[in-house]
Amino acid sequence: MSRILLVEDEKNQRELYAAELRDDGYEVEEASDGKMAVEKVKSSKYDLVVLDIRMPEMDGIEALGKILSRDKKIPIVIHTAYSNYKSNFMTWTADAYVTKSSNLDELKTKIAEILAARGQA
Amino acid sequence: MLIKKILLNLSLYIPDVALILFLTEEGIFVPEERSHFIVVLVYFLIKISLHNIVAFFCFIKPYSAVKDILLQFQRGRYSMADSAHVLKPSACFGDLFELLRSTGRYLDNLVGSQNDEIEKFRELYNNVILSANSYFVVLNARDEVIFANKSFSANFRYTDDGILGLRLEDIFYIIPGRFSDAIDNVKKRGQSAVLRKIKLISRRKISLIADIKISRVTVQGEKQYIVVMDDITSQWRKDYQISLISQISESLQRDEEVERILYAILTAVTSGSGLGFNRAMLFLYNEQKKILTGKMAVGPDSMEEAVQIWGSVQNEELNLLGGGPDAPPVLQTNGAFYKQVVTSNFAINGNTLFADVFNKRAPVHIYDAASDPRVDPETRKFMDVSEFVVVPLCSANKALGVVVADNKFNGAPIYEDHVELLSIFAVQASLSIDSYNSLTSVKERMEHIQAKQEAIVESEKMAAVGRIAAHIAHEIRNPLVTVGGYARRILQSVKKPQKTLEDIEKAASIILHESERLEKILSNVMDFSRPSPLIREYNNLNDVVKDTYYLLKNVLQERKITATLDLEQKLPLVKSDFNQLKQVVLNLLQNAMDATPAGGSIILKTGLTETHIYIRIKDSGTGISPEAMDKIFDPFFTSKITGVGLGLAVVKKIVNDHNGEIVISNNSEGGCQFSVELLRPS
Repeated sequence: MSRILLVEDEKNQRELYAAELRDDGYEVEEASDGKMAVEKVKSSKYDLVVLDIRMPEMDGIEALGKILSRDKKIPIVIHTAYSNYKSNFMTWTADAYVTKSSNLDELKTKIAEILAARGQA
Repeated sequence: MLIKKILLNLSLYIPDVALILFLTEEGIFVPEERSHFIVVLVYFLIKISLHNIVAFFCFIKPYSAVKDILLQFQRGRYSMADSAHVLKPSACFGDLFELLRSTGRYLDNLVGSQNDEIEKFRELYNNVILSANSYFVVLNARDEVIFANKSFSANFRYTDDGILGLRLEDIFYIIPGRFSDAIDNVKKRGQSAVLRKIKLISRRKISLIADIKISRVTVQGEKQYIVVMDDITSQWRKDYQISLISQISESLQRDEEVERILYAILTAVTSGSGLGFNRAMLFLYNEQKKILTGKMAVGPDSMEEAVQIWGSVQNEELNLLGGGPDAPPVLQTNGAFYKQVVTSNFAINGNTLFADVFNKRAPVHIYDAASDPRVDPETRKFMDVSEFVVVPLCSANKALGVVVADNKFNGAPIYEDHVELLSIFAVQASLSIDSYNSLTSVKERMEHIQAKQEAIVESEKMAAVGRIAAHIAHEIRNPLVTVGGYARRILQSVKKPQKTLEDIEKAASIILHESERLEKILSNVMDFSRPSPLIREYNNLNDVVKDTYYLLKNVLQERKITATLDLEQKLPLVKSDFNQLKQVVLNLLQNAMDATPAGGSIILKTGLTETHIYIRIKDSGTGISPEAMDKIFDPFFTSKITGVGLGLAVVKKIVNDHNGEIVISNNSEGGCQFSVELLRPS
C-alpha cells in the first residue's frame, strides 16, 4: 500500500482529499502547512507527496525545495487552486501539476500513473 | 607881330607846326597866300596817309595776336603753343605780348590746379559711390539722363556719353508701376520717395533688385531728378535662399512630397530674385535603369515670355510652397521646354557630360559648348546654347542627380559666384531631399514602434486583467472545489448506503460554510472597488502604530527581526479612520517583514514636518526593483508567490481617502522606506 503525504492548509479540503484517497486504498498522512510537511518527510518515508502551494508559515514552493533536498527521488504532485503557475512546475522539478477541482479524477489518475511508473501501484 | 612873323616863317619849314598854329591861335589863321595853304594841306594829307600805311604794316600782326590770345582766354584756354604767334621780344609790342603770355601761364596754372582738385574730389566721390554699390542718375524735366555715374553706365553697359539723353524706358524693359508713380510724385509735388526691392531688367539683359531713392533738385533754375539705386540683388538672393531653405524644411515637416521641394528648388534657381538663371532643369538618377532622367524644368520658352514673367512677379512675395497644395510656384511653365526635358534621358555609363558630372560629383561650367571637348554632341544638341552650368545633386551618401542651368534667352554671362551659389544650393537641396528620405524612414519606424508600444500596453492591460482573474479564480476555486467535492461525496453516499447520515450532515455543513466563505470573498472584492465610508475621529497616530506593532510583535520575534519604535511624543491629533489607518500600518509592516531576512531590523517612526505628519516604516530588506516600483500599487501585483497583491493597493486607497500620500524610497544602505504622510492639522 502506497503511503501518501497530503499537504493542505484548508482543513475541509484536506479532509475531503484524505477521505477520497483512503477510499481508493492509499495510506494517507496529513500535514497542514509546508513546515509540518518537511518535518514529516524527515521522520517518515512516503511514496508520494501531494503539495498545495499557498499555505501559511511555509508555502508549497519552499517546502518542495526542502523535501527534494532531503529526498531527491520522492514524487511530488503540486495540487493548487492556481491554474496560472502550471508552466513553472517543471522548473520547480515537481512530477505533476494538478489544478484543484471538485472532481478528483485528474489527481487520482496522476498519482496512479506516477506510482505505476515507479512500480508501486 | 615879330612872333607872328617868326611862326609864319617857321611854319613854312615845318608844316605841322603851321597846322598846329591854325588850330591853336585864336581865330583861324589863314595864310596870306592861297597856294601856300594848299601846299601845307597836301603835305599834311600825304603825311597822315603815310602814317596810316606805316601803322597798318607795323601793328596788324601783334594786334591780331593779342586779340587771338584774349579770345582764347575767354574760352578758358590760358596756355598756348610756343610756336604760335612768335614775336621777338624786341619787336613792336614784344614786351606786351610776353607779358600776356606769362599772365596766361599763370592763369593756366591756377585753373589747372583747381581742376585737379575737382577731379580728385570727383574720383573720391565716385569711389565712395562705387563702394556703396549705388547707381546715380540725374534726369532733366523731360526724363532724359543728363548724368549717370560710372557704376551705372558700366553696369548697364553704356559708355559715359552714350547714356546721356536716354530715358529710363530706353534703358529698362519694364518700369514697375511703383517706380514710375514715385517719379511722377516727385515731379508734381517735389516729394522725395524711397522704394524697396524694385525689380528691374535692362534692355541690355542686366537684371537687378534695388532700393531706389528719388529726389528733386533745382540747378540754375532748372528742375532735375536724382535717382539713386542701391543694388540689393545679392542680399536679396541670400535672404531668398535662406527663406527657401526654411520653407523646404517646413514643407518636410508638413510631410509634403519630394517633388514639390524639387520644383521649389528649380524655381529658386531661375527666378530673378533667386539665382537668376533663365532656365533650370533637373535630372534625377533612376537606379533601376541606370539613367539620369529628366524630372523637371523651369523656365520660359522665349525672351518675350521671360519679360512677361518679370512683370508679373514684381509684387509677389516669396512664397514658393505656400498657398495650398495646388498653388503652383511662381515660374511654372509646362511648355515645350518642359516637355523636352522630361522626355530626355542620359545613361550614366554613357559618354555624356551630365553622366560625367553625376559620376565625378563636381560642377562643370561650359563657356563655349561648340568648341569645348567636354561637351558631347548629344548634350550640345540638347542644350542648344553656348554657355551653361551642370551641378551635381549629391548628399553625403550618394549622388541623386544633376541640376542644369543656363541663360539661353538673354545670353547673360554666368559668373563664377553664380556657379558657386548654385553648387551650395544643390548641396542644401540634396540634404533636404536626403533628410526627407530619412525622415520618411524614421517616421515609418516610429509608427512601427508606436504600434508595438500599443501592443505592449494592450498586453500589459491583458496581463493585469489576467493577474486579477487568476487571483480571483484562486480565491474562488478553493471554496468551490471544497463545495463540489463534498457534494459529490453526498451523491456517492446516496448510492452507497454504507455511508452514514453523519457523513452527509458533515458534508452539508462544510458546503454551507464554504458557500459563506465564497460570498465573503466576493464582497471583499467588491469592497475594494467601492469606496467604504470613513469614520472620522481625532486619533493619535502613535496609537495606530503601537496597536499594530503589538499585533505583530510575536511574529517579529519569531522571525528574529528587531523592530524599533521611534515615536514623536508631541504629535497633534489627526482626523482619521483609526481602523483603516491600522490596516495601512499592518499591511506595510507585513510587507516589511516579508522583505526582511532573519536578523534584520524594522524601524517604525512618527514625526512632523512643517506641513505634514508622518508614519515611516523602514526595513533592512531587499529593497524594491525599478520595475516593481512602477506597478507596486497596482491591484493584484505581487512579488510573493502566495501574495494576494492587494496589500499596497489597499494602503494607497486608504491614504488617498485621507488626502495623504505615500512616499517610497530605497535606502542607500539597503532596504526601503514607506512614508505615509497626512496633512498636518492647522
